[in-house]
Amino acid sequence: MSGEKGGNEAPLRTLGSGSLAAVFREHPERRYVMFGGKGGLGKTTFSAATAFWLARQGHKVMVFSVDPQASLSDIFQRDIFGQGPVKIMDNLWAQEIDADKHIAEYQDEIRKKIVDMYGMERVPDEIEDYIQAASAEPAMEESAIFDAVVDIVVGGEYDYYIYDLVPLGHALYYLSMAKVYDEWINKITHLREEMRGYEEVVAKIRREGEVEEDKILGELQYIRGRINAASRILVDREKTAFFFVVIPEEMVLADTRQAAEMFARFDVPIGGYVVNRVLPAELLTEGAPTFLSNRIRMQRRYLDQIDSTLGEQVLARVPELERDVTGLDMIERTAEMLFME
Amino acid sequence: MTDGERSNADETQGEAPKEDRPKEAGGIRGFFGKARKVTYGMAAHDMTRTALRTRGSMEHLFILVTMGDLVGVPILPPYYSLRLLPYVVPQISTWKRRMLREKDLTDAMF
Repeated sequence: MSGEKGGNEAPLRTLGSGSLAAVFREHPERRYVMFGGKGGLGKTTFSAATAFWLARQGHKVMVFSVDPQASLSDIFQRDIFGQGPVKIMDNLWAQEIDADKHIAEYQDEIRKKIVDMYGMERVPDEIEDYIQAASAEPAMEESAIFDAVVDIVVGGEYDYYIYDLVPLGHALYYLSMAKVYDEWINKITHLREEMRGYEEVVAKIRREGEVEEDKILGELQYIRGRINAASRILVDREKTAFFFVVIPEEMVLADTRQAAEMFARFDVPIGGYVVNRVLPAELLTEGAPTFLSNRIRMQRRYLDQIDSTLGEQVLARVPELERDVTGLDMIERTAEMLFME
Repeated sequence: MTDGERSNADETQGEAPKEDRPKEAGGIRGFFGKARKVTYGMAAHDMTRTALRTRGSMEHLFILVTMGDLVGVPILPPYYSLRLLPYVVPQISTWKRRMLREKDLTDAMF
């Protein structure tokens, strides 16, 4: 195969395209960065590498996981699960949300509020059962992570927030959750406001003056503020950049195409594509095993397809490495390849 | 003597003859107060009652939308509903009773 691409030159980046580094340089306002894709393609690796690169540029960065099976602890080789923001190196913090702990704290907060509000010794059994049952709902874990993420991003302490997203299908669920919650909260807030309207009419007719403050309406407005903040970030074309991670394989490309359409439906601004696990062309020597040469040829075919369909949206090509990416040294090496210009 | 008559008698005894001005003012105030109550009863009582009933129904609808799980209606999202729970604790039993009560024709009439 010496005739192909002059043997040793495997293009790590697509010809004539922009680069990931250029995108970050030209758009410093894009503070919310997300890597999405099918499972096991390198989302966590690129999230960590991007966070590392930005931190080295002098920006204060938070990389956090919205995946209940998060792997930031593995990649940074530090146990950060459920410990809040953990400093990894200068300018770089990482966080893995412990949903169960978050839910348990939240339940205690609710119980305490009930006991304080009504001067009870303990929460009535019926209410306690409800608290327990609601917390066992399948959506509870995702909702808790969603809420914890709101806490992280609305804090505004960091220059960049890197979301280590869940795999595609789940990420779509996460995005739709923001939209559904948004609509739900708007509807029930509207219902509560209507109720308030009736109270005011009665107070006016009876000349009772000011009606008592509706604490539920206050809570709903608080919840709405949080949900809206989270939804706004996901669809903010100015401040958010969503990058798809793909590998040169047919099924991955087909699924990503479909997902891109769905993401577009949720108005998520797609910033570009990163191709991972490209087999180095120098392996394609005359004595190369058939297995390897077949895979390299297959990848070439799909890389051509990627270039012709996505063109300049492809921002980086990262080669398959001889070992897994864990620890800061490997993260640094990946960042160099990811942000190569 | 009925309670009403006793009450009227008490009111009459309470009005000291020496205090003409306050009695007069009280009388006028009392008259306007009663006139206002009569007007309210004739014109606005029904309106107020309807508004309060509608508000009450909306309150129950609101609890159903946010706490439906309590009677087996799945709701979404339970995480944020829990946040509202402390505020509806006193209404829960009334609401459940209302949800589970049999309905008949008189519900539509009154």
